[in-house]
Amino acid sequence: MTATVTSPRRTTRPPRGRPRLRTAYRQDMALLNTPAKRRSTLLLVLAAFGVPFFFTDDLLLVFTLGLIASVGAIGLNLVTGYAGQVSLGHAFFLGLGAYTAAVLGGDPEGRLIGYGLPMWVWLPAAGIVAAIAGLIVGPIAVRLRGLYLAIVTLGLVFLGEHVFREARTLTGGPGVGRRGPDLELFGIRFSEGGSLFGLGLSRDQQQFFLALVFLIVFAILGRNIARSGVGRAFSAVRDRDVAAAVIGINLTVYKVMAFAMSSFFAGVAGAMYYAVVGVFEPAAFGLLLSIQYLAMVLIGGVATISGSIMGAMFITALPRIAQEIAHLFPVISTSTVGGGIINVFQFEAILYGLLIIGFLIFEPRGLYGIWMRIRNYWKGWPFSY
Amino acid sequence: MTTFAQAVLNGFAQGAIYALLALGYVMIYKATHVISFAQPALMVCGGLFTYHLTTQVGLPFWPGLAVAVLLGALLGMAVERLALRPMVGKPVFTLAIITIGVDIVLRIFANRYMGPDPRIVTFPNGSRRYEFLGLSISHQRVALMVVTLLTVIALVLFFRYAKAGLAMRATALNQETALAQGIRVGAIFALAWAIAGGLAAIAGTFVAAGSAGMEQNTWIIALKALPAIIIGGLDSLPGAVIGGLAVGIVESLTAVYQPSVAPFLGANFALVAPYALMFLVLLVRPYGLFGTKEVERV
Amino acid sequence: MKQRRFITRAVAGASIAALVLTGCRGGGDDSSSEAGPGITDEACPDAVNEDNGCIYLGAISDLTKGPFAPLAVPITDAQKAFWQRVNEDGGVGGYDINITEHIADAEYNPEIHNRRYQEMRGEVLALAQTLGSSQTLAILDDMKADDVIGVPASWNSAWDFEDQILQSGASYCFEAMNGVDWAVENRGVEGTVMAIKYPNDYGGDAAAGAEAAAEANGLEFVEVETPTGQDNQAGAVAAVLENQPDLIVVTTGPAEMATIVGGAAQQGWQGTVVGSSPTWNPALLQSAAAPALEAMYFQAGPWGPWDTDSEGHEAMREALDGVTPNDGYTAGWVWSYPLLAAMEAAADMDGGITRENLVAAAGELEEVDYEGMLPNEAGNSAGDPSEVAWRSSVISGVDTEAATGVTITQELTAGPTAEGYDYTEPCFALN
Repeated sequence: MTATVTSPRRTTRPPRGRPRLRTAYRQDMALLNTPAKRRSTLLLVLAAFGVPFFFTDDLLLVFTLGLIASVGAIGLNLVTGYAGQVSLGHAFFLGLGAYTAAVLGGDPEGRLIGYGLPMWVWLPAAGIVAAIAGLIVGPIAVRLRGLYLAIVTLGLVFLGEHVFREARTLTGGPGVGRRGPDLELFGIRFSEGGSLFGLGLSRDQQQFFLALVFLIVFAILGRNIARSGVGRAFSAVRDRDVAAAVIGINLTVYKVMAFAMSSFFAGVAGAMYYAVVGVFEPAAFGLLLSIQYLAMVLIGGVATISGSIMGAMFITALPRIAQEIAHLFPVISTSTVGGGIINVFQFEAILYGLLIIGFLIFEPRGLYGIWMRIRNYWKGWPFSY
Repeated sequence: MTTFAQAVLNGFAQGAIYALLALGYVMIYKATHVISFAQPALMVCGGLFTYHLTTQVGLPFWPGLAVAVLLGALLGMAVERLALRPMVGKPVFTLAIITIGVDIVLRIFANRYMGPDPRIVTFPNGSRRYEFLGLSISHQRVALMVVTLLTVIALVLFFRYAKAGLAMRATALNQETALAQGIRVGAIFALAWAIAGGLAAIAGTFVAAGSAGMEQNTWIIALKALPAIIIGGLDSLPGAVIGGLAVGIVESLTAVYQPSVAPFLGANFALVAPYALMFLVLLVRPYGLFGTKEVERV
Repeated sequence: MKQRRFITRAVAGASIAALVLTGCRGGGDDSSSEAGPGITDEACPDAVNEDNGCIYLGAISDLTKGPFAPLAVPITDAQKAFWQRVNEDGGVGGYDINITEHIADAEYNPEIHNRRYQEMRGEVLALAQTLGSSQTLAILDDMKADDVIGVPASWNSAWDFEDQILQSGASYCFEAMNGVDWAVENRGVEGTVMAIKYPNDYGGDAAAGAEAAAEANGLEFVEVETPTGQDNQAGAVAAVLENQPDLIVVTTGPAEMATIVGGAAQQGWQGTVVGSSPTWNPALLQSAAAPALEAMYFQAGPWGPWDTDSEGHEAMREALDGVTPNDGYTAGWVWSYPLLAAMEAAADMDGGITRENLVAAAGELEEVDYEGMLPNEAGNSAGDPSEVAWRSSVISGVDTEAATGVTITQELTAGPTAEGYDYTEPCFALN
């Protein structure tokens, strides 16, 4: 914050040859605070842009959805990981964003209400509507703690699902659902295959690029929130809210802020996600979705942006991973009933459960923990053991 | 008036099921501070145990129920030992997510057992009804209420007089101190899960003996106990019972009266009425009706 | 600790490797032949006829956790048995049919449905099953772009208006009309008709039909929505007791129907109940509601139940020897005939069986050989829906002796309401 009193601007850069020496707060808090991080992030982003040229469309769709879900997971991590307010209500905010987008961007000629507005209107609007809902819900968090808060936010999901079910002119209602808005930005129609920058790309390749840019923008935003004063205030609230209040952090303001920011992320993520998915039903925004997002945060790594991304990619791909592993076992019958103890579909579903249990038992710090260990191993290489 | 009284009576009976389930949640929460999302699966499995014992093994209903309660308790203990014991001391939400994984796995096996048909436990004289003052209630529902009452009394006595009950209360208060007093905290966790499993088996059995038996989708009933425990207070046994009954009655009254009294709330508002009640209660009492207020230290 | 790390790494490594290995772009496009995707000259895995080529069909169903898994599993198994029998009879146009390779579990979720379709879209000729309405809508645009036809696993009236969806039997809408007409004629219904329905396309379609029929018969009509779950039926029971209808048209699941009928009957209600095929399960005859059901329950169905005496039913019972009878099997079996007919027609066309020819053949089908399970003209899908749509249903009553608990009380008939219905658009629109 104001630790740079004695140091002019040049100290934001560490001295030559001593990349890890910190001489100012600002260095410690930089967006990417080590050279290795800078290099690896750059490399990773470049590699990510290459992904669409190596994978099949069906897998790209999984990755695309993972990238978008990452934004939602970052949002949940802001409120749950950084600010420590466990929310099971994320599905409600995701749904709010998805329906705002679908209504604003929807087909004006269709059976359901739609205004046919462009993406640069519906995307921010989805975030804003969800954020306003977050502002309204936030004050509950001031009054409740821990599991009470979790279950009350769960109640929000049930109430929200009821509203989504009943508002049929907006949502299509259960069993029917409605279509998400078209992805069209700067004249490029991402919902259809075509040429982009002179390359002939399939729909899934285009959507992957869009999702990647979307994630990069929001990941930087998330990281900036986390490293700013607001983010540190969140951490103080999480670690001991009474103490935080004593040092002058206004609990009400920051808890409400955490919910509003988190909901904004959820809103935009919901809008994008269901635009890619296509048709969606009110039942999508149930307890299970909230739990999946919580699992993303827990499996990825609490209070880390990179962890949120890893967790979201992992959970989104998990059904596919379970499916692939299940097919590696030839013993398991591929019939739908009978034959063996369980069939391949039941095995898939069980693997999904077991992978979640296994990860949390064996790696409670999440994928981020695995990454830390790999990093530490190579840091000390060849003397690591 | 009869409609009203009948709705309350029906809600009361349905509430007894929620109360049994809520007691299970509270038992586990008190001992381990975890909300167990595996309760639906335990309920389904418990109901299926009774189904299997009464239809395939040939036990009569009541002995079948007793054995099913034991099996349910064993299942609860197994879940605790395999999935949760390795995680002692880890954040409670991690544990809660693990219970979801357990729930998925158990329910897949249960679904496989059930197949496409509902599994109906035949209650002796199930369709016979008691009639009084223009109200009517089936034998099965009366038995359910009696069993719930007996269970609650047994639990109260257990906590007041049994040594294990005292040890459990001590553990709930402070695990480390309890450990220092020579209480085997691990065994207490197992006991809590065993009781929860047994309670879920009773609830499951009465669900399976209800109107249409146990189906693949019936597990959702167990989630209705969540607002019940919040209404009653997460760590209060009487709270769980009262919360469960309140949810049952409110749900039943809303189902009967909301379509005519407040149609603007949309069709089937009864589904979410328990949650609305939960919001109302929490506005007034943030720790539920009987929950212990947390004292925060700086 | 060491041990655990190893396990974690092994799991993480294996899962990533599994994903990466399967998804490489452009690598060995193995299944395509001259005829296009989903059809090869090589024999099927575990082929019945080694000399035949292989046609791959996809099936996107609800097999484990979704709400329709109890019905979808028998449906899928019946379809497997159906195509196995086709193979044993020599296949179609020199090809065996394989449906086992591309069966997917979409958990009744449009999102997963879409994902699963993307996985198989380059590798199947057509979809032998696509379960769910919003689920099918989620992939319909892609199916059209790919020239893929599909067999729905529902009787929605909207499918009569989709060229690439090959439905069989009368829709829920006509079914409800026929049910009401039948009850008016045979059960002397004259008071109120009440539709109790799920708040979805299935319920909506049937309620629209019930309303039309009530109007045509000059009866009063009330509609009640009820959610899933036997614990949530108090409202529906209260509505029955309050309105005292003469006839209830139910479109819910079996457990809900039994709870409503049982509950209302115990509190003194009497009348007639007409359900639909997804409303019934024979196990209900062991429930406390059994006496009420035996006295009052009837169902309008698209074709005869499991026990029915016809060539097709006979073949089905033989092919599915040993299963617990369930009319999910019957449905899965009957639904497969039009696809077989379309494939046979495409085989005679110029260029043989391809996706394009299959789409063309499906649009020109004038009759389908249902082996007596339905009349041949029920398969007519060439022409305007208002002219060719099939409007006849079977009415069945409870029969504790029958394998699936119901036997026919009135053979395939189209009631006056269904006959006269102006069918220019679906009863319940999906788009």
